[in-house]
Amino acid sequence: MEETMFIDPQRCIGCRSCVAACRECGTHKGYSMIYVDYLDRAETTATMPTVCMHCTEPTCALVCPADAIKMSEEGIVMSALKPRCLDCRNCVNACPFGVPKYNTEMHLQMKCDMCYDRSSEGLMPMCASVCPTGAIAFGKYEQIVPLRRTKPVNVHVFGNQHVETKVYLMLPTDADAVEVDGCGVFEGMLQRPAEERQTPTVESWIDTQVEHSDKSNEF
Amino acid sequence: MHTIKTRDKFTSVVYGLAASAGLTLLVIVGSRNLEHYDAALFGYTVASVVAFGAIVYRYALWLSRPATRIYWRRGWQLFRDRRRLAENTKSAAQTITHNLVEQRFIRRRGFTRWLMHALIMWGCLLSAAVTFPLVFGWIHFKLEGERGYRTYLFGFPLNALDGRSVAAWVVFHALDFTAVMVIAGCAIAIRRRLRDRGAIALQQYMLDFVPHLLLISVSVTGLMLTVSSLWLGGYMYSFISLTHQALVIMTLFYLPFGKLFHVVQRPASVGVELYQRRAREMPQAACARCGVEFVSEMWLGDLKQVVEELGFDYTMPDGRQLQDYCPRCKRVMRGLSYASLPDRTAEVFRGSRAEGKETMNAE
Repeated sequence: MEETMFIDPQRCIGCRSCVAACRECGTHKGYSMIYVDYLDRAETTATMPTVCMHCTEPTCALVCPADAIKMSEEGIVMSALKPRCLDCRNCVNACPFGVPKYNTEMHLQMKCDMCYDRSSEGLMPMCASVCPTGAIAFGKYEQIVPLRRTKPVNVHVFGNQHVETKVYLMLPTDADAVEVDGCGVFEGMLQRPAEERQTPTVESWIDTQVEHSDKSNEF
Repeated sequence: MHTIKTRDKFTSVVYGLAASAGLTLLVIVGSRNLEHYDAALFGYTVASVVAFGAIVYRYALWLSRPATRIYWRRGWQLFRDRRRLAENTKSAAQTITHNLVEQRFIRRRGFTRWLMHALIMWGCLLSAAVTFPLVFGWIHFKLEGERGYRTYLFGFPLNALDGRSVAAWVVFHALDFTAVMVIAGCAIAIRRRLRDRGAIALQQYMLDFVPHLLLISVSVTGLMLTVSSLWLGGYMYSFISLTHQALVIMTLFYLPFGKLFHVVQRPASVGVELYQRRAREMPQAACARCGVEFVSEMWLGDLKQVVEELGFDYTMPDGRQLQDYCPRCKRVMRGLSYASLPDRTAEVFRGSRAEGKETMNAE
């Protein structure tokens, strides 16, 4: 598969069409495997769409005690093989991108597999097919990149660890990698003094989702 | 990155050979110096001994993976805790009943799926429980009186059966019943694999179809033996018998390296479940960013050790490991890093309060 995904968070408007569409994928069994996280809901409307980045050396697969997470020939990191998965959830907490999901009741690990039923046949994954702004795009590198002013980068640096991925993040700068330092430079800029911060009085469905699903990666 | 060490390979080979030797010894002892051993089943015995060694080899190799080794050691360590031995035994028994016997977790995925798996699993396990002791000469029957059959286990006499009773009929035809169960289960599985869009995309011939085809062929040829002897006066019996034997041997050799290995691997989930239960009672690790308690400290410590052993170094500038953050904070932190890439005047996040704040600061 020459095609891959290109994620451009600055185009994301947080509409969650991708979240809804993801459930329709044949390999996801009615569950959504994509995340749209608010960076700081009280401070900014910015949202971060997260799909599996399909690492070239996937941490999730290597920490799996059952050797249940396999890569396809095209470099797609698959959901855990059901007969093998031992219900340990190592992958959920080891993934540097916070991607794999788990259902405790069904002993079932699932993750974004780039809608393998579709992408293996050259069709767009569900999320890319419905994204209204092009924040999630699917195609060949030479098709997508000339259409954008942003720079495709497939290297993340988490502290000392370089992680190379099949999926690209579109950067608005000339950087060669996304450095996740955990210090929250931008976060520091966003935070207002405590007295100025507004506490939402009504819990919306989105808060419920964040509390009960997004935080634990339980689906 | 983790590669299998030569020492681990060597140890696994030793375990495999020891297992094969041990089983051979048990065959000799259990059949009372081969007195009750049926020489016609020699091919099955050799295949079983080789397959058993290969299974143990694969299992030992599997346990040498860093993550598996830690779970294995920690699982037994937690289980052997003397103060909680009774509680742990109860917990393990509960997991065995719910997960391995009843398979409730598969039932929650869907009734048909559960039925399919239950038919194949019990069909295979019951068949194995009948066949292996017979092949190894551990069980044999002797005629007593006109129609009494006495069972001998390892040469020790057990109860006698009336050869014409319903119970005897069921016992003698046990493999026919299990063959029907396996065929029905495999039929459900193949039907799903031919229709489910997700399954069609993901399945592989060797991994997902071959085991079903092997099990069906073994079951069908097994039933043909009954048909031949009961209704066809033994027509083609030796040919069918040879075909059945060849198919069984192929299945036995497929066992350690294919999908069916999960039969041996999956019971390890009992240990993992015990680990998870005990972990929930222990002090919990709070996410370094949002403060939510997301896993136990023990689990997090073990995970970080595995990650390190695998050659990863997720040490952050503040000395923490990336695994100290909950999955959601990892995603948000990446988003924030992305957001901090451009300078403030760039078009990224224009309209956000951050921009306004910066403008205010500049003023």
